[in-house]
Amino acid sequence: MPQPPRAAAYSRQELMVIEAARQLRDGDVVFVGTGLPLLATTLAQRTHTPNVVMVIESGVIAPLVRPTPISVSDPKAMYRAMKLGTLREVLGSLLQRGLIDVGFVGGAQIDRYANINSTQIGPLGAMKRRLPGSGGANDMASHCRRLLIITHHERRRFPERVDYITSPGFLDGPGGRQRAGLNPDFAVTVVTDLAVMENDPQTCALRIVRLMPGIAVEQVLAETGFTPTVAPDLTTVEPPAPDILRVLREEVDPGRVYLKAEESVETVRR
Amino acid sequence: MASTTRTTTKVMTAAEAVARFVRPGATLGMGGQNIGRCPMALTHEIIRQRIGDLTVVGCNLSIGMDQLVGAGLVRRTESGSGNLERFGTTFCWRRGIETGTLEHEDYSHLAMVSRFLAGEMGIPFMPTRSMLGSDLLAPAGAATSPTRGERPGKAVVTQNPWNPDERVVLVPAMRPDVSIVHVQRADPIGNVIIEGFATHEPEMMRASQHVIVSCEELISTDEIRAHPERTTIPFIYVDAVVVQRYGAYPTSTYGYYDYDGDHVAAYQQAARMGSPAIDEYLHMYVWGCRIFDEYLDRASDRAALDALTTSMQEML
Repeated sequence: MPQPPRAAAYSRQELMVIEAARQLRDGDVVFVGTGLPLLATTLAQRTHTPNVVMVIESGVIAPLVRPTPISVSDPKAMYRAMKLGTLREVLGSLLQRGLIDVGFVGGAQIDRYANINSTQIGPLGAMKRRLPGSGGANDMASHCRRLLIITHHERRRFPERVDYITSPGFLDGPGGRQRAGLNPDFAVTVVTDLAVMENDPQTCALRIVRLMPGIAVEQVLAETGFTPTVAPDLTTVEPPAPDILRVLREEVDPGRVYLKAEESVETVRR
Repeated sequence: MASTTRTTTKVMTAAEAVARFVRPGATLGMGGQNIGRCPMALTHEIIRQRIGDLTVVGCNLSIGMDQLVGAGLVRRTESGSGNLERFGTTFCWRRGIETGTLEHEDYSHLAMVSRFLAGEMGIPFMPTRSMLGSDLLAPAGAATSPTRGERPGKAVVTQNPWNPDERVVLVPAMRPDVSIVHVQRADPIGNVIIEGFATHEPEMMRASQHVIVSCEELISTDEIRAHPERTTIPFIYVDAVVVQRYGAYPTSTYGYYDYDGDHVAAYQQAARMGSPAIDEYLHMYVWGCRIFDEYLDRASDRAALDALTTSMQEML
């Protein structure tokens, strides 16, 4: 079979956004903040899942986002929305009510059981660095059935146990969510510049399910504070199709507001 | 000025409104979110009058709260987050919490708006299913979280009385002494029209003992009566109406003008550096200005403000 022509060059960060977009299904109602999650959702909406519906915390329902919003209150994130409402409408009457399919969250730390910390570095009572806090992240992790996380893969971001559980993953493992009173029907996908990790359905722990092209398992393990297992059907993330890469670059973030800025020093352009 | 009925005209200057309704030690509800519709003219006036010992509450607290902290006027904050997204965190706030000069209590955004909802409904608490299993249930400053939510005052985990297998979190009502909100339009007696996104403001305003709004445009009560379905908040909740064009600058006002990224960044740089840069910023742009229009002249100019308006118009 002839291979489709590959893009001449793409960054790992671009592929990270594209791989995150691939996780969305047509018709998904997606709760999204700004940054790479917004790029991924906009990309999905403009390519393979045109019926994805975005919901943004400030009260925005079903916008056709213009490039490139830098805040949930940026008018670019509200362009041609079907409803501009309130925070309670979206976080309460959609999210807590159970009408959101997928939530994107970010955080400084993500642990083995996909608990997320965006509140503080250092444990309770011994804070070293104050972070922004939950925002709507705890609400998303509490009420979404599928959670997506896009992050750079660095050892300090993946400790065995987060310093502070801002947003609940599987808490202390199997049965943890149920014991806490949370919906146990829950799945997490973490897309990084090195790999894709998902929760093991049995153990609830994050495991490596896909590798970014050219990355070895050992590299992922070296940059992960806990030791994830490797899925038996480990595969490699597909490189971007040229047309998808073009949409990302030319339509979704043409000013490279996030693509450029969030490229970390170790992210090499291939 | 005698305000004998709720339909008396409430138009006054920012200086009058703040002097009348913001007391030292007050719990202050903050409107706006991130770089959208932050009540900067009213915030500046509180700083100018140096009204301190405040507890500032909201969902996302951003540049307005951070300037109050930078001015040394805040004792405590309660919110779902403190940050300016792409422009970074709220640096004065972060520094205050890290050095122990500022108390802070964390909730999720839904939990905070649920607290305002309880407040506006006149009930003592509201259940939510957020925060379960998380460290948000632990009171601030706790060394551990062994009893997760057992301490009344922050949140209580309990059973649904109709379905004991189901757990809920009760969060206490929040009723600010006074809230400050910048809106698009209001009439002289305080009927408020918020256009575009409204974040947590409707719940917060209805929960507050007093509400001060600043508005881009003053409209007539006849216009309100002609389209009553457009009224976001009726006059009954509102105590003062301050007319201030560009009153949210450097943040945006939906339908009117975009945010000024350069000025937000300039503030962030001062806030990040801390003293003396933050003091210099506040002297230059707040204490050194008698009114908000003087600040607008120093921070921007007519052409630049027009450009922000044009930028917004292009996005509608």
